[in-house]
Order: sequence, then C-alpha cells, then structure tokens
Amino acid sequence: MRLDLSILLPHLGFLAQGALLTAQASALALAGSVIMGAFVAIARTSSSALLQRISFIYVDIFRNVPFIVQLFFFYYGLPEIGIYIDAFATGVIALSIAGGAYASDVIRAGILAIDQGIIEAAKVSGLSRRVMFTRIVLPIALRTSIRPLGSVLINMILTSSIFSTITLNELTGSAQIVVSQTYRPFEVYIVLLVVYAALTYLVSLAIALLHRRLNRDMMEAIA
Amino acid sequence: MRFTEFTSFDLILLAQGLSVNVALFLATSLIGLMIGISWAIVRFYRVPLLCEAITFVSELLKNSPVLVQLFLVFFGLPGLFHIRVTPVTAATITLSANTAAFVYVIAISAIESIGRDQIEAARVFGLSRWQVLRHVVAPQAAAFAVGPLIALLVNQLQVTSLISVIGVVDLTKIGNILNMRTLKPFIVWTAVGLLYYAAAKLVAWLGSHFEKRLRAHSAWRGL
Repeated sequence: MRLDLSILLPHLGFLAQGALLTAQASALALAGSVIMGAFVAIARTSSSALLQRISFIYVDIFRNVPFIVQLFFFYYGLPEIGIYIDAFATGVIALSIAGGAYASDVIRAGILAIDQGIIEAAKVSGLSRRVMFTRIVLPIALRTSIRPLGSVLINMILTSSIFSTITLNELTGSAQIVVSQTYRPFEVYIVLLVVYAALTYLVSLAIALLHRRLNRDMMEAIA
Repeated sequence: MRFTEFTSFDLILLAQGLSVNVALFLATSLIGLMIGISWAIVRFYRVPLLCEAITFVSELLKNSPVLVQLFLVFFGLPGLFHIRVTPVTAATITLSANTAAFVYVIAISAIESIGRDQIEAARVFGLSRWQVLRHVVAPQAAAFAVGPLIALLVNQLQVTSLISVIGVVDLTKIGNILNMRTLKPFIVWTAVGLLYYAAAKLVAWLGSHFEKRLRAHSAWRGL
C-alpha cells in the first residue's frame, strides 16, 4: 500500500484541459437549461390546460428516466434520423433538456411565489402579456430562485461526468486516460473526487454571493 | 449469421436487467438508510472528532460524481490494497455510501426541526438522552423526513443505472447490448427508459402511501 500523488504532476496539464471542457459543457448546458426551464415554467403556470399538461409530461419524463439512458437515446438515436453532431454537442443538448426539467420546477416555484398584487398592478398599467413576463415575472422569479438554481447547476457539473461514457474526454474521461497511462487508479480518482468537491464548493460560494447581491434591496427589510 | 431482429427472449433480458437494478436499489437503500441514521445518531450525541469526520465524508460524497466514486472503489481499491473487488461489490459499497451521505443530511434536518423546548422538557422529566431520541425525537423526525427521503430514493433508483459503466449487467447494459445487436436505438432506449420510468413511479407511489400512513395522526379528518 503506497500513496504517491507526485505521479500525477506530469499529467496536470492534460487534466486541466479536461476540467476546462467540463466547465464549458456545464456553462453551455446551464444557459440552455435556464432558457428551457423558463419557457417550460411559463407553460406550466399558464392558463392553458393543454400547455400545462404537455409541460408536466416533459418534466415528469425527464426527471424519472436516468440521465445515462437519455444520453444514449440522443447519442445513438440522432444519427439514425440523419442528424450528425459530435459528442460534445449531443452531451450539451441532452444535459440542457434534462436540466431544463429540474430548472423549470425551480423557476415555477419562483413564479408561484410572486405576490399577486404585482401582477395585478402590471395588468392595470396596461402592459402586454409578453412584456409582463419578460420584464416583471421572470426577473423576480429568477432572482428569488437563484439559490435552488445554483444547486441545479452543481448537479449538472456532477452529471456532466457521465459524458465520459459517450467518448467525450472531459474531466472524468481524461482521468480515465491518465489511469490507463500511469496504472495508478486510486491516486487519480481520489484527486478527482477532491477536485470535483472543491469545484462545486466554489460554485456554491459564488452562488451565495450572487444571491446576496441580487437580493440586496430585500435584505434590509429583514435585517 | 446475424440476429438483428428483436426476439421474445429480449423481454426476459430486459426483465433480468431491471431486476438487477431493483435488487441493488433495495439493498443499497437499506444499508444506506442504516448507515445514514447511525451517523445522525452519532451527531445527536455530539461525539467529538467522529462528528467532524462524518460531516467531511458526507460533504465529499454529496459533492462528487457517483461515477468517480464508482471508479475509485472499483479500480482504485484493488490498485491500492491488492484486493479483489467484483463489480457488484463495488456498486454496493459506492451506492450505499452515497445514499448514506444524503440520508445523513435529511436525518439531521429532521432532528433539528424538533423544537429544543421539547427535548429540554423531556430531559427535565428525567428521560435519558437515548429515551428522548427514541420516544420524542424519532417519531416526529420520521414524519418530517419521509417526504425528502422518498424523493431521494426515486433519485437513487436512477443512479443505479451508472453501475453499467463498471460492467454490472443491469438494465442500461442490456440496453447497450440490444442496441449494438439490433441497431435500433430509438426502440431500445425508449423501452429501457419506460422501464426505469415505471420503476421510479412505483417507488414514488409506494412512498406517498407510506407517507400518508405516517402522517395519519395529523391529517385533516373533516368536520
């Protein structure tokens, strides 16, 4: 039994490249899932029963089927219908759709928490429905739900490790390559574990700061 | 000769795969629940050092991808200690530890949801710490925790799909095999997804029934 972390030193650059790919994929998927989630949340809180039903089915399916199955569905299925995109794009799209289901739940809760008086005031002011949503409902909902959205993001960073199963060499994938070169699985994976934990810890710190900054005018009321 | 068509035996394969997932899910949930609750008890007694160690381990397990944890146990432990770890053992260890980390957090918030005045009152009546835990805290904490626990279990059922990556022949692996043989990704992954979906719905349904029974004492009975 020998734990020697120095064997990792020559491979740090390679691992950093993988980490960068993980960060890129997570950032793109976050943007995708917030956009997706906002639309689905609007559909779920709309007055149309059909839209509500469709959006509920979407959320229900993508929350109850394992992500790896969804990923394989897209990765092997898309070429079948003539769409040829690389593993990175496939992964980002799949993660956006799956994350969108979680994000929509969070944003929906934010929308439902909006004081009815605000919406009535907007209606009385004669704003169109579109302006009401983009200028009043969504900003308030996103601001109050920034914290749960952060935990969705953290979950996405962790989930993006599954991309390694569709030949994408992000952080986990490049760690597998390093293992096959060094034959030191324990050292590599324990470092990887700590790196992921540190990464998500930093993200959660950043989100706490962002939450305080966005809600700074509400803080004084409490304090 | 190539068997590219679906046969009726494929249904048996899928059922076998699902049973592997469900069996592992039940076993690891049970072990995880027991470990998680015993960690929470350690924290309730405020054992020095052990308490901090448990918090650190659970944070590490919660904030790193299950895939990396699986690799660490399956490839790392044999590499470091020169022991034999079968895929099923590795999956059981990892998923149990992962479930335990989340159960620990839920159990702690459930224990903390009970007012200190209740515990103090019970102590004043001469109950020992264990009696307080057993007769005052545990019943109320269980009713509080059952909702989040069911959500966790539905999630952990989906996490079991990751064990296919280290070579356990579960439902996802069967899906992979069928996909490679028939080259019909849409049908295969839809079937696999549906089976996971049905299993998740079943867990959620059983859970909500159990929750209703646990909360029966405070349910609205009508006038």
